[in-house]
Amino acid sequence: MRSNLRILAAGTLLAVGLSAGLSGCASSFPADPDGTLDRVSGGTLRVGIAPNGDWTDMTDDGEASGIEVSLIEDFAETIDADIAWVEGSEEALFTRLEDGGLDLVIGGFTDRTPWLDRAAITKPFTEVSTSDGVEKHVMAASRGENAFLLELERFLLATEGAP
Amino acid sequence: MSVAFGETELPQKQTEILRKAIRLEWLTIAFLAVTVTLVFFVLGNSQAMKAAWIEDLLSFIPPLVFLIAVRIARRKPNPKHPYGYHRSVGVGHLVAAVALVTMGTFLIIDSASGLLAAEHPSIGSVELFGQVFWLGWLMMGVMALIALPPVFIGRAKMTLARELHDKVLYADADMNKADWMTAVGSIVGVGGIGLGLWWADAAAALFIAGSILWDGVKNTRAAVEDLGDTRAMTFDDAKPHPVVHRVDEYLRSLHWVEDAGSRARDQGHVLHIESFVVPRSRRKVAVADLVAAREACVALDWRVEDIVIVPVKELPRVVRESHPAR
Repeated sequence: MRSNLRILAAGTLLAVGLSAGLSGCASSFPADPDGTLDRVSGGTLRVGIAPNGDWTDMTDDGEASGIEVSLIEDFAETIDADIAWVEGSEEALFTRLEDGGLDLVIGGFTDRTPWLDRAAITKPFTEVSTSDGVEKHVMAASRGENAFLLELERFLLATEGAP
Repeated sequence: MSVAFGETELPQKQTEILRKAIRLEWLTIAFLAVTVTLVFFVLGNSQAMKAAWIEDLLSFIPPLVFLIAVRIARRKPNPKHPYGYHRSVGVGHLVAAVALVTMGTFLIIDSASGLLAAEHPSIGSVELFGQVFWLGWLMMGVMALIALPPVFIGRAKMTLARELHDKVLYADADMNKADWMTAVGSIVGVGGIGLGLWWADAAAALFIAGSILWDGVKNTRAAVEDLGDTRAMTFDDAKPHPVVHRVDEYLRSLHWVEDAGSRARDQGHVLHIESFVVPRSRRKVAVADLVAAREACVALDWRVEDIVIVPVKELPRVVRESHPAR
């Protein structure tokens, strides 16, 4: 009796998942709940930039430069996207990322960033030896946008160790 | 070499079953060690995977409790523990059940708060054998791989639990048998993430957490009943233990006995029985008759060893109420 109930519950869950998937836009797997990759491909990639040494910099007249900036410019080219740079403090940028106002935040972050819970942190794209040990550098994408995250990580892994 | 639980020598068949059960539990532990490690490496940010992993971790408890309990139960009764150490099974059962309740509750709160906060789980890429692909595929693959073996182990243990009258082994087998649901649940959760349904993951985790909590509640109830001296039941708590009825019937069939009734409690593997007999002669009862009756009862079944036969004028109320004549 009870095991029948369990099977019923599992079956229902499976059926709901499948039907939602088939009826929904199952164009890519994994898919983005908010469709980030579809929107930015051929559109505009909104990137938050927190100035941080050689990694990210911003001039007064809004010219972005740095190692991560070049990486993102190359990435944007692969998906045919224009980039809208938004400069700000880390807190302001991560809050906007969570609200859906940004797609990506860069700022020379390492995998020990305290923003781990507020964003989808990419796999490290480069490692740098410093006096504090090895720093593994990462970027921060919008949470749960897995198609976009996967696309970005594929690009970063392909250009690993570039700088 | 024969094995004894306290003073109770196990028959040949039960000795072999006990050995088999111990081997199966070690096999379970080895299997769990592999799955817990595998799942740990592909956990990612999925709440459903986390729930499944915690369930796998908790699955270590029943086999360990079983292995410890059967070891302790072998000790002989002594002045400090006149009933022996059979209750170690019940104590272990309760400990395991409470652990399930605690973790089930924690996971339900954890998953529900993730669902309410609309947390979107992020699952990125993984690089394996030079290929970069979505980590979700690997998660689903691992879960599909480990879904079925516990079901077969569980089925095998269930048969042994019946023969051995071991409720920890029964609870363990019962949980193993339902283990595939956890694997399927987490596959559905991760698959849901892949389809862009962020809530599917937390929903699947809630489902898994619910099943852990349910296992815990069910087993806590059973363990408390046994420790609270509920009448002896079969290994799956489905019906009163038939041995007690056979003891009563045997005693009633004796020429010097007018009526008889027993109360029995489950000590773990063995039963502790107090049988009340109303002799036909109100004057005297032969010690030899009592001793012979006791030995015959012990010979009825290996679970009957600790049995006391008390001559009385009339049967006590509790025994009268379960009398078949009523």
